[in-house]
Amino acid sequence: MGFTVILTPANLAFCLLGSVIGTLVGVLPGIGPLAALALLLPVTFQLSAVAGLAMLAAIFYGAMYGGSTTSILVNIPGEAASVVTTLDGHAMARQGRAGAALGMAAISSFVAGTLSLVALTFFSPLLANLAIRFGPPENFGLMVMGLVCTLYMISGSKVKGVLMMALGFLGAIIGMDIVNGTERFTLGTVNLTGGIEILSVVIGLFGVSEILVNCESITKNTMLAEKIRGLWPTVADWRASWKPMMRGSGLGFVFGLLPGGGPVTASFLSYAMEQRLAKDPSRFGKGAIEGVAGPEAANNAAVSGGMIPLMSLGIPGNAVTALLLGALVIQGVQPGPLFIAQRPDLFWGVVASMYVGNVFLLLLNLPLVGLWVQFLRVPYRVLFPLILLLSIVGTYSANKNVFDLWVMIGFGVFGYVLRKLMYDFSPYLIAFVLAPLLEQSLRQSLVMSPDGMLIFLQRPIAAALIVISLVLAVFVFRQRKSSIPEGDI
Amino acid sequence: MKLIPALLSLVLAAVAASASAQVAPQVAKLKPADFPKEPIEFTVVYPAGGGMDLTGRLLAKYTEKVSGDKIMVNNRTGGAGMVGHAYLASQAKPDGYTVGVVANLLFGDAMLRAQGKWSYTDLEPIAYINSDPLTWVASTEGAYKGMTAKQIIQIAKDKPGTVRIAVVPGSMWEYLVEQIEANTGAKFLRVPFQGGGPGVIALLGGNVDVAQGFYGEFRGHMEAGKLTPIAIASNERTPFLKSTPTFNEIYGSKDYVWNIFRFAAVPKGMPADRKAYLGAAIQAAMKAPELQAEYSKLGAYFDPQLTNSTNVAAEINAMAGREREFYVRTGRLK
Repeated sequence: MGFTVILTPANLAFCLLGSVIGTLVGVLPGIGPLAALALLLPVTFQLSAVAGLAMLAAIFYGAMYGGSTTSILVNIPGEAASVVTTLDGHAMARQGRAGAALGMAAISSFVAGTLSLVALTFFSPLLANLAIRFGPPENFGLMVMGLVCTLYMISGSKVKGVLMMALGFLGAIIGMDIVNGTERFTLGTVNLTGGIEILSVVIGLFGVSEILVNCESITKNTMLAEKIRGLWPTVADWRASWKPMMRGSGLGFVFGLLPGGGPVTASFLSYAMEQRLAKDPSRFGKGAIEGVAGPEAANNAAVSGGMIPLMSLGIPGNAVTALLLGALVIQGVQPGPLFIAQRPDLFWGVVASMYVGNVFLLLLNLPLVGLWVQFLRVPYRVLFPLILLLSIVGTYSANKNVFDLWVMIGFGVFGYVLRKLMYDFSPYLIAFVLAPLLEQSLRQSLVMSPDGMLIFLQRPIAAALIVISLVLAVFVFRQRKSSIPEGDI
Repeated sequence: MKLIPALLSLVLAAVAASASAQVAPQVAKLKPADFPKEPIEFTVVYPAGGGMDLTGRLLAKYTEKVSGDKIMVNNRTGGAGMVGHAYLASQAKPDGYTVGVVANLLFGDAMLRAQGKWSYTDLEPIAYINSDPLTWVASTEGAYKGMTAKQIIQIAKDKPGTVRIAVVPGSMWEYLVEQIEANTGAKFLRVPFQGGGPGVIALLGGNVDVAQGFYGEFRGHMEAGKLTPIAIASNERTPFLKSTPTFNEIYGSKDYVWNIFRFAAVPKGMPADRKAYLGAAIQAAMKAPELQAEYSKLGAYFDPQLTNSTNVAAEINAMAGREREFYVRTGRLK
């Protein structure tokens, strides 16, 4: 019935507009869906509820499509959920296979977006009840599992990777203590009371440092070392990608659903999983298409997954869904257990708009592949100042705080040094993202528990997650013993 | 692809149409000859999408309508509001082009965290917006089903540390519990959350026994019959929850008032004509029934004492003074 709501010219037009804007903000580094949504929110007050929400939601998932573009082309993630796509996506671009990587990213996003919508359509209320079961101990189990999985994706030296994770934890400690509200390591500046802004970390570590490294070879004209080979994924690519795509969709959906999850975590874990399952894990980081298909599927599926707690419980999982919640409330709709029953037109209308929007995005992104690939021909000396400018504007626009720019530049230099020392800093980012949730859930659990740590064994879901994590950790340890590459550390 | 420019112009037309409404005469009368010559910034110190942001964006929309001026909302965030508060109090120019859309959380930041670098008196309130009283909610299932707030507090006294309550550390969620504990001898197990919403969800999942939240945060679950409000920390019962008693009724007191109240404030030292004009414009916007309806949808409540006040600045500063007394009494402030 939702399709009858959405298939009016006006509603379709707003859905398309959202898709276009989403793709654009995804592509531009620093400017994320949150900034775009905040700017356009007042506009939606004038629209009907369905049109407004269809547009805002389209910006959100559209950004997931667009985000992979700069990751692949210039090794700079458009937003945090596309960080892992840089690893193999950009390696593919360097081999002249940018088209295949971009195409596969768009197709994975589409497949995952559609599959997770089917799950959302049929199981929404059921899944909402599952999500609510996740209290602090269960979240802790989930975070531990996330960290253990991260161990798998450390390329090269495990020692260096674990060191990066430890630094990520330290970075996340800065800011307000969640239990007693005291400030930690804020050096007396108000700018650090809320912790380090994640956007500054992502753009600095991945974007600015990439530009710095490339400045060294600026005389080399463009980044295209090899001739572009084919704009489309080959049959072999398809064969390699369809399973990671399915797994990424499932994983992303579940992680989007759960309170501690979200697109960032989902994309990292999907990458770790694909690497673990691959016959030849050494190909990862060197242009394995599975490393693009899995995470790109996961981050899109997580968006749809996140719509379930939002619409059936009124829980926003992150800042973007919080904004969508605000938009719903302004429209006079109270998301919650009664939402689907009270406003079926709106609920199914938005769901239907997401099906339609995913089709729009596929049609929009596939023809763009050819255009984006041409960007690789733009000389560095033109391209990089432009990207740097966009990064600065984007980072500043999020909070209007100049301090964030200094943090961004600081992390850029930090990232540059790390690159020179051959450290892989993806583990830094994932630890930085997971640490606050890990700490919060651990301390909440211990406050709640009369029996201390035993709470993690008394609750079945938490216990299961922790046991799985332990088993996975043992595997990592054995893998490490058997396959330490020579000359490493 | 020709559709896109067409669509954009459609959106812009919609925005323009909303902005070109009638200017209220009582506002036009006060308009200074030299002001405003550029867009006015409404500064919101919390991120886009939150309750404060929506409040600011709605206020901007209706203030544009009654004044005919161009207003843009800017989120200056960071440090859980500290960055924006410090900006408004110590950096923004008192020229009328910066208006803070703030809440009383400003006072806690000023008194406990600003370390004397700025004070809440560096900002002058010009209009009251709305309030959100803190409400206790309990589950309609489980051990405390059907109990009143008084009964649950009694259990927390008889069996100390067994009743789990969601709090947000270092803020009024915690102060209310502290006050109740001090006055009744009860002892709760305080489980920390970042915000009232996550506490409400923990209540639904059975991870806490009492949550504290705002109407907008629990309304959906209340209507679905999953949880029920048991007491409210406001001066009087609110129109949304007529059957929910106030803590003051329960304990025959006047001290259990913990709410978020939002107001517009400008940096100290602004030319009097601009200040009067901005105050009149925002107060006129607040009179629009449409805006009141929008705020009511968000679950906000209009405190009659502040809404009908003829001297909002004095009232608000008096409330800040009472908050200060609490901090001094509890040893948080010397």
